[in-house]
Amino acid sequence: MKRRNSKRHEVPLTALRAGEAGTVTSIRGGHGRGWGFGKRLMDMGLTPGTRVTVVKSAPFHGPLEILVRGSRLALGRGMAERIFVEIEK
Amino acid sequence: MNKKKQKKLLIALAGNANVGKSVIFNHLTGLHQHIGNWPGKTVERAEGTLHFRGYTIDIVDLPGIYSLSTYSLEELISRKYIAVERPDIVINVVDASVLERNLFFTLQLMELETPMVIALNQMDMAKRKGIQIDIEKLEKLLGIPVMPTVAIKGVGIAKLLEKAIETIEKGPVKKRAQARYGEEVEEKIGKLIEIIKNVQFFYPPRYVAIKLLEGDEEIEREIRRIDPQIVSTAKKLADEIENIHGHACSTVITSERYEVAGCIARAAQKLVSPIKPTLGERLHNLTTHKIMGYAILAFSLLLIFYSIFTFGDYTSGLLSDLFYGLEPLFASAFGTGIVGNLIWGGIIEGIIAGVTIALPYIIPFYVILYFLEDSGYLSRIAFLMDKVMHKMGLHGKAFIPVMLGFGCNVPACLGCRIMETQRERLLAAFVTTLVPCAACTVIILGLVGEFLGIQWALVLYVVDLLIIFALGRLAFKVVPGESTALIMEMHDYRWPHLKTVLKQTWFRVAEFIKIAFPLIIVGSLVLKLAEVFGLLEPIATVLSPITVTWLGLPAIIGITLIFGVLRKELTLVMLATLLGTTNFAEVPGFGPVQMVVFTLVAMFYIPCIATIAALVKEFGWKKALFITVFEIAFAIVLGGVALRLLTLVT
Repeated sequence: MKRRNSKRHEVPLTALRAGEAGTVTSIRGGHGRGWGFGKRLMDMGLTPGTRVTVVKSAPFHGPLEILVRGSRLALGRGMAERIFVEIEK
Repeated sequence: MNKKKQKKLLIALAGNANVGKSVIFNHLTGLHQHIGNWPGKTVERAEGTLHFRGYTIDIVDLPGIYSLSTYSLEELISRKYIAVERPDIVINVVDASVLERNLFFTLQLMELETPMVIALNQMDMAKRKGIQIDIEKLEKLLGIPVMPTVAIKGVGIAKLLEKAIETIEKGPVKKRAQARYGEEVEEKIGKLIEIIKNVQFFYPPRYVAIKLLEGDEEIEREIRRIDPQIVSTAKKLADEIENIHGHACSTVITSERYEVAGCIARAAQKLVSPIKPTLGERLHNLTTHKIMGYAILAFSLLLIFYSIFTFGDYTSGLLSDLFYGLEPLFASAFGTGIVGNLIWGGIIEGIIAGVTIALPYIIPFYVILYFLEDSGYLSRIAFLMDKVMHKMGLHGKAFIPVMLGFGCNVPACLGCRIMETQRERLLAAFVTTLVPCAACTVIILGLVGEFLGIQWALVLYVVDLLIIFALGRLAFKVVPGESTALIMEMHDYRWPHLKTVLKQTWFRVAEFIKIAFPLIIVGSLVLKLAEVFGLLEPIATVLSPITVTWLGLPAIIGITLIFGVLRKELTLVMLATLLGTTNFAEVPGFGPVQMVVFTLVAMFYIPCIATIAALVKEFGWKKALFITVFEIAFAIVLGGVALRLLTLVT
């Protein structure tokens, strides 16, 4: 995980199209020392280095449906915007 | 039975949400169970007892959670329970079809150093998804006995219990596998354990060390009271880890814990057949589809409401007839004097009112609700409705209590517990008290729908929804705090366990009876007394500046509104009684405009007495009173404005 400074193309999870996958690099805008919702996201398996697939998003900029660690999660858009991923080629 | 000879055991069930924990709980305890709240908390606590091999076993079903940190009240309660009450064994229910994420929780339970066995549940679902699990290997890797189960069919439950007892009888395990973190982290944990090990605390030292590094608020607070130095040392060590890894220490620890869980899962499971879309998968795609999903949702909701109202109306009428058929019998026994009148009109009619709401409407509502929840459809509804609810500062899950509110506001208020924070529970509850319940629907359809036409009733519904939306948005802006976003698992569709659904319904109905009945009965007794002593007319006169001058309604409306506090549809019933006619169109001074104003006021003017009771139970007197007063004031303003606008137009 010692790769913070490398120049990679990081985008928020919301930038992924349906069916695309990426690897989590960071969760931004957490409170304090990463508690609160950032912590919750990680407890649900969205830790840095994890592969995430965006299945689809609900209409009118609704929540995302993602696959992570073999389970299916619904993620509010506000939350998904704070998750940064590196898109898989 | 000689109770002294029986040995007592305490077993706790723990695991993620929706892994079949409550089904296992039901299998184990049968009818000997009790559902209440954790002392002083609005978190549900299910307990039961069973007798097995000469033991009396108490079983506690802990809330379904994903982690043992401080994210929610449920998590705090669970870990404290395990650490303080020290159950003889914890049965960790694990979903075999999502092994990795479930093991993440298992690893945390292991850190609490509690004796445990694993119920590897939903083996059938795992098999369908092409996942094969090597039980022995899993046991070896974790150092914990594992029992495969299919709870819904009752498979493996008896063996699970046997294994749990066996494990208890064997005594404490000496060597148990632990989640080993990376070298740097383990080194810091080691250092902290050295400082902590002499501190008397109910959590084990290694757990405290890990949680301090993660920055756990509760444990920091407790340890700071004992020795603030420890907390600052932990903070320094955590910063060191952050510097090495470039991520917050809690992130590092969570990642590494997941890595361990992943390693174990990968080693123990084998993906066999290529996964072809199962029926559940296809159903999922259909029910979350951007067009079909909403169509199915709308259709399901219409179907649900239509069937509940049809069933409710019929059964309610049947029950009323039955009860009122007893009235002559009662009158001959108690007479029609003041005492007989008070008992019948006050107490018995109160009970009738309660029964004719509770049985016909609330029971089917709950059965359907739990059926949808257990099957997994509710989470799809939350997914579809997230965007709409977001406008009110709530997320998709809040749609569920709102939906309930259309049936009855009382269960809706209680249903707001599914929201994560107290703020959101309050906001959601406020919105649900505005939702027109079955009783309001009676008014809308019975007055506006009947005399002005169904299209006007629909217009009123739309106006109503717009007002709810606006007020919800307002409340969200006014109430301080941050709103949270949806983070929700959508587990695979499955067939619900009917017995569990029925049991949950039964406990909910019992709760409703406990909350609502006393107040409905007292309320109707008070009203009857007021009537007997001739206080109703004076009250109507006192209210006339509002009802007559401001709202432009006949003075007797004041009386009907008082009765409506008991049950909203009584406003209409009383109106008919007082006027001596059900043909409201003939009443002078009660034209179409007045009908609309009256209906608007009746919809909003107060949560009914049972709803107020539910609000008090969930949020305390102050907030309940505030919501009530706000709604009274709002309805008065709304009615007056509507009157003036409508007179202008017509």
